[in-house]
Amino acid sequence: MTTRRTLRSHLLRLLLPPVAVLLVLGTVGAYYLALDPANEAYDQALIDVAIALGERIRGDDGKLAFDLPGAAEQVLRTDRYDTIYYLVRNPDGSRLAGDSGLPPPPHGAEPEDGVIAYDGLYHEQALRLVALLVPCGGRICTVQVAETTKKRRALASDIALAGVVPSAVITLLLLGLVWFGVKRGLTPLEDLSREIRARSARDLQPIDPARAPEEALPLVAALNQLFGRVGEASANQQRFLANAAHQLRTPLAGLQAHTELALSHDPPAEQRAQLEQLRTATIRTARLANQLLALARAEPGGARADAVATVNLRSVVEDAADEWVHRAMAKEIDLGFELADAPVAGDALLLREALGNLIHNALEYSPPGARVTVRTGVRNQHPFLEVEDDGPGIPPAERERVLERFYRMAGTAGTGSGLGLSIVREIAVAHRAEIEIGAGEAGRGCRLGLTFPHG
Amino acid sequence: MIGRVRVLIVEDDAALASGIARILEGEGHAVDVMAKGEQAVLGARQERFDLIILDVGLPGIDGFEVLRRLRAAGDRTPVLVLTARDALDDRVHGLDLGADDYMAKPFAMPELAARVRALVRRSQAQTGPKIVHGPLVLDTLARRATLNGAPLDLAAREWAVLEVLLARVEKIVSKEAIIQAVASWGEELTPNAIEVYVSRLRAKLDGAGIKIRTVRGFGYMLEEYREVGAEGAPAGS
Repeated sequence: MTTRRTLRSHLLRLLLPPVAVLLVLGTVGAYYLALDPANEAYDQALIDVAIALGERIRGDDGKLAFDLPGAAEQVLRTDRYDTIYYLVRNPDGSRLAGDSGLPPPPHGAEPEDGVIAYDGLYHEQALRLVALLVPCGGRICTVQVAETTKKRRALASDIALAGVVPSAVITLLLLGLVWFGVKRGLTPLEDLSREIRARSARDLQPIDPARAPEEALPLVAALNQLFGRVGEASANQQRFLANAAHQLRTPLAGLQAHTELALSHDPPAEQRAQLEQLRTATIRTARLANQLLALARAEPGGARADAVATVNLRSVVEDAADEWVHRAMAKEIDLGFELADAPVAGDALLLREALGNLIHNALEYSPPGARVTVRTGVRNQHPFLEVEDDGPGIPPAERERVLERFYRMAGTAGTGSGLGLSIVREIAVAHRAEIEIGAGEAGRGCRLGLTFPHG
Repeated sequence: MIGRVRVLIVEDDAALASGIARILEGEGHAVDVMAKGEQAVLGARQERFDLIILDVGLPGIDGFEVLRRLRAAGDRTPVLVLTARDALDDRVHGLDLGADDYMAKPFAMPELAARVRALVRRSQAQTGPKIVHGPLVLDTLARRATLNGAPLDLAAREWAVLEVLLARVEKIVSKEAIIQAVASWGEELTPNAIEVYVSRLRAKLDGAGIKIRTVRGFGYMLEEYREVGAEGAPAGS
């Protein structure tokens, strides 16, 4: 597998950065938004203090005085978190009482209900201040109360955090949903791929669009179109091959008939030899035509998917036994059978062809008097078909090569085209069967077998 | 010994048709050749043939249609179908339509001749009470057997096994098929028992040149009778 990105990780990579940025922005925004209500709540407390302080201003005969007992001031300045400051100014702005140097309200700030609330710096600390305008002796005095912002910031943080945690959880849940949702959403596509993967190369049936998700319909349609075109092309090829084989077989039959007729009239020895040659060549040509046709049929796109059915290998052998026993008798070879039921899903015509090639091969390379045995059955739950002879055998080094097309072992006397076993291999591939070449019983001869998939 | 029979060959390839005709004439049969299906249907209606050799790939109506029309008209003449198409499909189709045997092109002439003899013998056996196989004659009505004219003593089971084999000369008959044909209803017969009957039959027939071949792991085959010293020559001619 290449390190191709999955749709899922692709989607996550696309979603994760903006979601993270949004989360951070949201948190910061929530903090600043939370500062306002926090300020409002605590400002009211400062205003209350300012009002109380304002009532302490005495304005007799033009002389203003501020009277705050020490104990009261103590109470005023006591706060669990923040430091409290106050400043009472004369109408002219000079200090009447309290902490001098508190920043005045910004220029142009309009009082609201006689109060100006603002932020400022004092001894390098951030402060929240309120300035209350109080009537004093016919004029206006200013009472400023300030406190540091520790508890305000804490409250804003709390509010922001209270918002952040659920958003973060929701975000994580959302990403998880995307992850599994994509996987789930792609399940029909995966089913589709699995179905296509599981197909044999010969199965060109269209995919049922009803079983594909809406989004995959164009893909399914394109695949079906391709299946159709491939199927049509291979059907044309099959028709051509069937016609070609048909057209070849009849004149070959005529040729063989007349050759054998001439042979039956006791020709002189020299002519007899020539006629025998002619007859052998005719039979080989006919066999070659049959094999080429079989090879084409067994190949992917052989378009015989319709011919697949449950086939008992035993019946395939029993049906063909007659023909092969006669050929074995003609060569004085003892052809025997050890047959048990062996059901496989396959194409009876092709399986018969494979069997024919295996037996032909064994008869071809075995001397007179040899024993050839055909076996079918089920071994370790796998149906099998094998042909064993006690002829010269195939050396281990040659075993792979004999399956190649037109390969003929050096020093062999047979008249084969070298196609037989490659046809067996093609048919094995089409049936997902394993082909095995080994020595026969007691290490003599050759055993060629097909082991079919379980079930 | 089958006598001279009339054979109709329906084959559009002139070379093949004349080859088959000359082989069968060499066996002493009377042969007619036709190249078209319609012609064959008419011909078979007008004259009686003992056997029809029918090619599937005819111009006009094909061999299967000819066969269908013959059988539909009640004609039971034995038909040997020849085909150049894919063996299995045509065979099944042909046999379904009522063909008696089937051969894929190209074929060896001796095999064709043997099939013709077997078909004719079979159809004659169905009509006559006597089964003849070289020097062996089974009179199925009188239930008497003779070998070279002398009475041959056969036990009932031996007779039954021999009859099964005689019905399918040159064909392998599985032991199961023999058991099915021989055993009476509800009776259990083992393959070993069949072996015993066959070895007794061999003891009685071998000397006269009648051979029952064992096909290892499968069954038996009664070989075609060949006169001593005439190896390869067709029997019964």
